Amino acid sequence: MILVDKHTKVIVQGITGKMGAAHTKRMIEYGTNIVGGVTPGKGGEKMHGAPVFDTVKQAVEATEATCSVIFVPPYLALDAGCEALDAGISLLVLITEGIPPLDTAKLVAQVKAKGAKLIGPNCPGIITPGQSLIGILPGTIFKSGPVGMVSKSGTLTYEIALALTESGLGQSTCVGTGGDPIKGLDYQECLTMFENDPATEVIVMIGEIGGNAEEEAAAFIKKTIKKPVIGFIAGQTAPPGKRMGHAGAIISGGKGTAESKLEAFKANGVRVAMTPAEVAKQVAEALKQPAKA
Amino acid sequence: MNLYEYEAKRIFAEGGINVPPSQRITKPEELAKVHLGYPLVLKCQVLAGGRGKAGGIKFPKNLKEGMALAKDMLQLSIKDSKTESLLVEPAMPIARELYLAVTLDRDRGCPIFIASAEGGIEIESSSNVLTEPIPNPYHPFVGRNLAQKLGLKGAVLNKVADIANKLYKIFESKDLDLAEINPLVITEGDDVVALDGKIIINDDAIDRQPQFRGWEEAHLCDLSVRERNAKMNGLNLVELDGNIGILCNGAGLTMATMDMVKAFGGQPGNFLDAGGGSDQKKTLAALELVNDNPNVDVILLNILGGITACDEVAGALVEFMKKYPERAMIVRLRGNNQDIAEKMLAQSGLKLYPDLEEAVKEAVSRSKAGSSKKPVAAGKA
Repeated sequence: MILVDKHTKVIVQGITGKMGAAHTKRMIEYGTNIVGGVTPGKGGEKMHGAPVFDTVKQAVEATEATCSVIFVPPYLALDAGCEALDAGISLLVLITEGIPPLDTAKLVAQVKAKGAKLIGPNCPGIITPGQSLIGILPGTIFKSGPVGMVSKSGTLTYEIALALTESGLGQSTCVGTGGDPIKGLDYQECLTMFENDPATEVIVMIGEIGGNAEEEAAAFIKKTIKKPVIGFIAGQTAPPGKRMGHAGAIISGGKGTAESKLEAFKANGVRVAMTPAEVAKQVAEALKQPAKA
Repeated sequence: MNLYEYEAKRIFAEGGINVPPSQRITKPEELAKVHLGYPLVLKCQVLAGGRGKAGGIKFPKNLKEGMALAKDMLQLSIKDSKTESLLVEPAMPIARELYLAVTLDRDRGCPIFIASAEGGIEIESSSNVLTEPIPNPYHPFVGRNLAQKLGLKGAVLNKVADIANKLYKIFESKDLDLAEINPLVITEGDDVVALDGKIIINDDAIDRQPQFRGWEEAHLCDLSVRERNAKMNGLNLVELDGNIGILCNGAGLTMATMDMVKAFGGQPGNFLDAGGGSDQKKTLAALELVNDNPNVDVILLNILGGITACDEVAGALVEFMKKYPERAMIVRLRGNNQDIAEKMLAQSGLKLYPDLEEAVKEAVSRSKAGSSKKPVAAGKA
């Protein structure tokens, strides 16, 4: 597994909000080690048994949390992220959608300066099945196993995880890096962690139209990743110039097309799957073959 | 949100960037009240690009010629974007044209300057383009470095540096996706003037920019009526040419579902992402939007509930089918509260497809069977 396991101590920023409270309950039920939460002005209360603090600093001092999952409204997310970094949190999972990209750019710069890691924003979070679910993923469709997954998408990740799980193929860790054009963790960082993770045997990489992160990741895979990688791209039928739901999912000036990404995959030894069910088939085949020397 | 040129220039002027004097007209006869001195330039205010080539910029030498041109120009549509008004400015004596813009670079993860010593051109097709990452926090030396790299000297170097600094300040303080001056003109008297401008405001930031609140409806001209309705209801709709209406939750899943429809021989009629956590009301609004498209013969609903609860979706389906009992529906509903949803739908006769590929294949085959508005109860065929 990568990034999180059953020992990871997690706090929830925005724990008393509607989303924060509902998902705190689900995370605790899954077995995630939720040690507390933060809502300014509600310090001293409890939420689903977890202590609520006024500041992240207090929460970290009292609980030694290293990870924070953030459910605050978009315009408060930069401040919440900086507060977590200042308190010494090393892994931020930012679920919030609709954060102005200039705020994200500032947060990403702070995350880098502190040597911390940011998953998101506009993401479903991360799950190491059977150990820790941090975010909003539906825990029941994942099961433990050898497949590492990294994806820009939420529900498409669930779709593919479901296809894998129903084929008896469990997952080591699944990371949803988010659908925004500017974000924290990227494909390369996740691929490197999966490459170095003994529990991961095969990597599934799910991309979509927009930008050229998939093309860059494909070149990176050829150079540095020895484990088999199966690639999937959403948006082959997307018209140019239209934003397809995600802020980052747009073909502009002829760039960011699915064809370009699929070609980059093929040219760099990434196995391409065209449907979620085909991802599962390709993973099963890759698991039968010995790893590249 | 794209702004009109005159709006962009007003924002530039408020930020201290030199723009030409101007007046705006919506009727040809208003030109008689313009006192800027001939020759003038008339510019169609449209949200589409390629205006010059489409005849949206003209240089009348006198009032008579101007009024005749204005009459035609006010009727002009460029790439489906109607002319909102004409911006009237005095024609400028131009010595040199530059290009200057600030935008966010998604690969570098920070704002950048894009600049060129050749202005007035399509920046994508120019080879002589500088890109400079913008540090945070910002310092005015960044503008001077940029002006120097453009090969400028003397007073013009300082003026362009000053404009670059002001442009960045506007970009940051107004939460823009793009602030572009093209061309940035150096006049024969060494004045530096923003002759044309484009501003795109970041859609996610509009609510914290009181100046732009309520502007969206007037600036969504490139969207269909249904797409506009969707946007106002917090739904993401993109209409396409096919006859299979697609409704999913999540952008990636919606795109993947569209791709599968196409791969199995069908034609997607739309992309509709209902987003995460949609309740019964929002799901029903989404179903109505898909249903309202006259090209759509079959609706394919694919929901994989994470934060979306399947029972909320089922509630919307029950209501929708009461209203439109003859509509062909292919429904795949999995995830959170799936069991409750299945019970709710048990009496409706609606068949649920647990497998996505089967659901897509069925939708494609129905879409080819002709109009579904024939009285075939959904799921019983």
